[in-house]
Amino acid sequence: MNKILLYLIMLPKGLWKRLGADVTQLKAILSVKLKMDDRKPLTMGRPQNNAKKKKSNYASTLTFIVGLFVGVMYVFPLIMFESEPYMGLFSFYTMLTVLLTFGLISDFSNVLIDTRDKLIIFPKPVNDRTIFLSRALHIFIYFFRSVFPMSVIPWILWSYLHGWKGALWFPIPMLLLTFICLFLVMGCYMLLLKLSKPERFKDIISYFQIVFSIILFTTFYFMPRLSESNIFEQFNILTVEWIKYTPTYWLAACWYWIEPNAAKIQGTGWLSILAVFTPFIMLWVTVKFFAPSFIRKISAIDGVEVEAPKKNAKKVKSSKLYLTLGSVFNRTAASKAGFSLAWLQTARSRSFKLKVYPGFAYVFVYFFYIFLSGNVPFDEVLDRMADSKSHLLLLYMTSFVLLNTVTNMNITEQYKASWIYYSSPMEKPGRMMGGAFKAMWVKYYMPFVIVVSAFVLYVWGIGAVIDIILATTNVTVYVLVLMYFGNRYLPFSMPEQMKTKVGTAIVKMIAAMLFMGCMGAAHYFLYFLWLKILLALLSIAMLWTLWDSYTNTSWQQLKMAEDAA
Amino acid sequence: MQPIISITNLCKQYGEKTVLNNINLEVYPGQIIGYIGPNGAGKSTTVKVLTGVIQDYTGNVQVAGKDLRENLMDIKRMIGYVPELAELYDLLTPREYLHFTGTLYGMDANLIEERMVKMLDSFGLADNIDQRMDSFSKGMRQKVLLASGLLHNPSIVILDEPLSGLDANAVILVKELLQRLKQEGKTIFYCSHMMDVVEKVSDTIVLIDKGIILANGTFEELRAGSGQSLEQIFSKLTMADNLMGKAGDFASAMTSNNTNEQL
Repeated sequence: MNKILLYLIMLPKGLWKRLGADVTQLKAILSVKLKMDDRKPLTMGRPQNNAKKKKSNYASTLTFIVGLFVGVMYVFPLIMFESEPYMGLFSFYTMLTVLLTFGLISDFSNVLIDTRDKLIIFPKPVNDRTIFLSRALHIFIYFFRSVFPMSVIPWILWSYLHGWKGALWFPIPMLLLTFICLFLVMGCYMLLLKLSKPERFKDIISYFQIVFSIILFTTFYFMPRLSESNIFEQFNILTVEWIKYTPTYWLAACWYWIEPNAAKIQGTGWLSILAVFTPFIMLWVTVKFFAPSFIRKISAIDGVEVEAPKKNAKKVKSSKLYLTLGSVFNRTAASKAGFSLAWLQTARSRSFKLKVYPGFAYVFVYFFYIFLSGNVPFDEVLDRMADSKSHLLLLYMTSFVLLNTVTNMNITEQYKASWIYYSSPMEKPGRMMGGAFKAMWVKYYMPFVIVVSAFVLYVWGIGAVIDIILATTNVTVYVLVLMYFGNRYLPFSMPEQMKTKVGTAIVKMIAAMLFMGCMGAAHYFLYFLWLKILLALLSIAMLWTLWDSYTNTSWQQLKMAEDAA
Repeated sequence: MQPIISITNLCKQYGEKTVLNNINLEVYPGQIIGYIGPNGAGKSTTVKVLTGVIQDYTGNVQVAGKDLRENLMDIKRMIGYVPELAELYDLLTPREYLHFTGTLYGMDANLIEERMVKMLDSFGLADNIDQRMDSFSKGMRQKVLLASGLLHNPSIVILDEPLSGLDANAVILVKELLQRLKQEGKTIFYCSHMMDVVEKVSDTIVLIDKGIILANGTFEELRAGSGQSLEQIFSKLTMADNLMGKAGDFASAMTSNNTNEQL
């Protein structure tokens, strides 16, 4: 698959050359990067294994299937606006743009601003434009691989609705859309890189990503709801004629090539020319104006601002919060070490923050989205909530935060540093894992549950205390079960892999959340207080047993879990 | 004779910290320059400037009479660089990696193959040529890096701790190789902490500390009849006094409050 894509990508050689890239070098870099993405890195103490090939094929198939399902969710505007193809396409492209931009920002940013090539490629006679284009096209290949399965179902539907002409036409604007999303995000990053101080760039990007993800996510869930109300009830494309100024409408206007008379906004057929030229203009602007200082900026990114050495650094204050909490929550030295390591690393790792922090906001966004989808007027929201049992939904949704933190805690770029675990005289690695789990629970989950509980107690009153206890222990047990059976690794010891992360991660998360939903539903039907107390006690007992087993994980069990990964 | 590398008033700062403070240095063709200094002295930063990895410096750097900023690509083509931290794409095999780096220098695939096989064979890596490098020892990786730095036959070779991790035989081979490269008229910029090697192989020794050049001359000039070894001169100039006492403090720190806490 990669070879075909690489071949296709290298077809417009003349274009890459005109943009200032060295085509031979560009191909060499891309080919090496793709080759490396296909290979699974060795983690500590695990030999190379031929069985992995089969496993990665399975992951690719899974990614494809997930993509197909995601595609199904996006066909609705095409069906809803069947008689108004321009509107259907506009809505379809807009929704897809939001999703793709979101994916680009959260999954592929690191590829663009990767500094690991610094001592390998940068000293070689490779110019800025070649390096920049190699990264842009590397991202494009993966991006295309995730967009393609998503567009299969809408493509089939469009072909069914509009015949062979529609079938032939459909991939063209899709390809243009992919390029527009890619260069939109890249252009933003390159502009930020140009304007900001390089040493601060990664921090700025992290916060930009977090805020942007939350905004996109919120918009995505609330826009359809708003569109259901008043304004759009008697919907007509002519009431929103301003959409003709948006690139997603220009893409929809490409339908003019097939059905010139179907456009309700008159005289917009020529906008399809803009759709064709926009990606090229964006590409040209990005490469010509932003790429020239690319290597200089990227090199400077890692040149962190050096702090002046602290005068009294010899005596560490023992009153640091994580040390105090580490002593309170852990008994053995190994678990204290795991606690401290997880606490400190997660506070400083940008990729961890990026993956985990937006999740805190998602819980509330999801909650209000699901609650509001019952068409409750805004001023009656709290009263209606108090009458329902929706606090259980919120309480069980907190599992997303715990699950997100503990799973991301194992992944790092510096996974090779995990040799330290294997060389230290640790009898049971489970102790270290237990300490790290506790750190995530205390640092992220507990404060979040406290905030959620305060809200729950405010709205539902003191009677909800038992629900809070039962839900919290259930969530902890459940996440621990998932870690025990599917994610039993030492903290910061697993590499992140580009190839498999898109599909399997989503499937695992969806499956996990579905099961959590079932638990919440079971809790919903508990009517007697004594039963809730009994189940809370049982849940605590289960947590106790499971915890004992988890923290007693032996080296052999750990190896088996890593081999299965 | 015109210097092949000419550095004038080179300065580099990270935030408020000055890493290179007004470096002035001239290197002549066919010379082996031993560039030494304690940790954090600015050696690697100088090397990164010379190889074009760091471009936001002040001052003037000329290589073969050309300004580094204005002729970056031409100058990069003349340089072979072996970085300090064994940085390579270790998911690749040596064959794949060297083909990749050779291509970046515009070399023909057949030429790469021919040179690569000879080089790796000399290093005793012929049997490992198609093995992924993530299972390689540090020394094996270092050998691949050396091959990658020399594959395109550069006229200036910049080596940052090139002997790191190499076994005794490979060390002898590399030292001999340095002399051969010198005979061929190549300029070698050699950064290292291994004083005995620097002392033996270098024509000129430059000692840098806290971003400032403290000494620049032949080993005989630095010694100035004192009979001291380079190691002793290094300690004296970098003011690392009472090292014996510090070693004693270190050793006693290991045994202070000794407990056998069970993990």
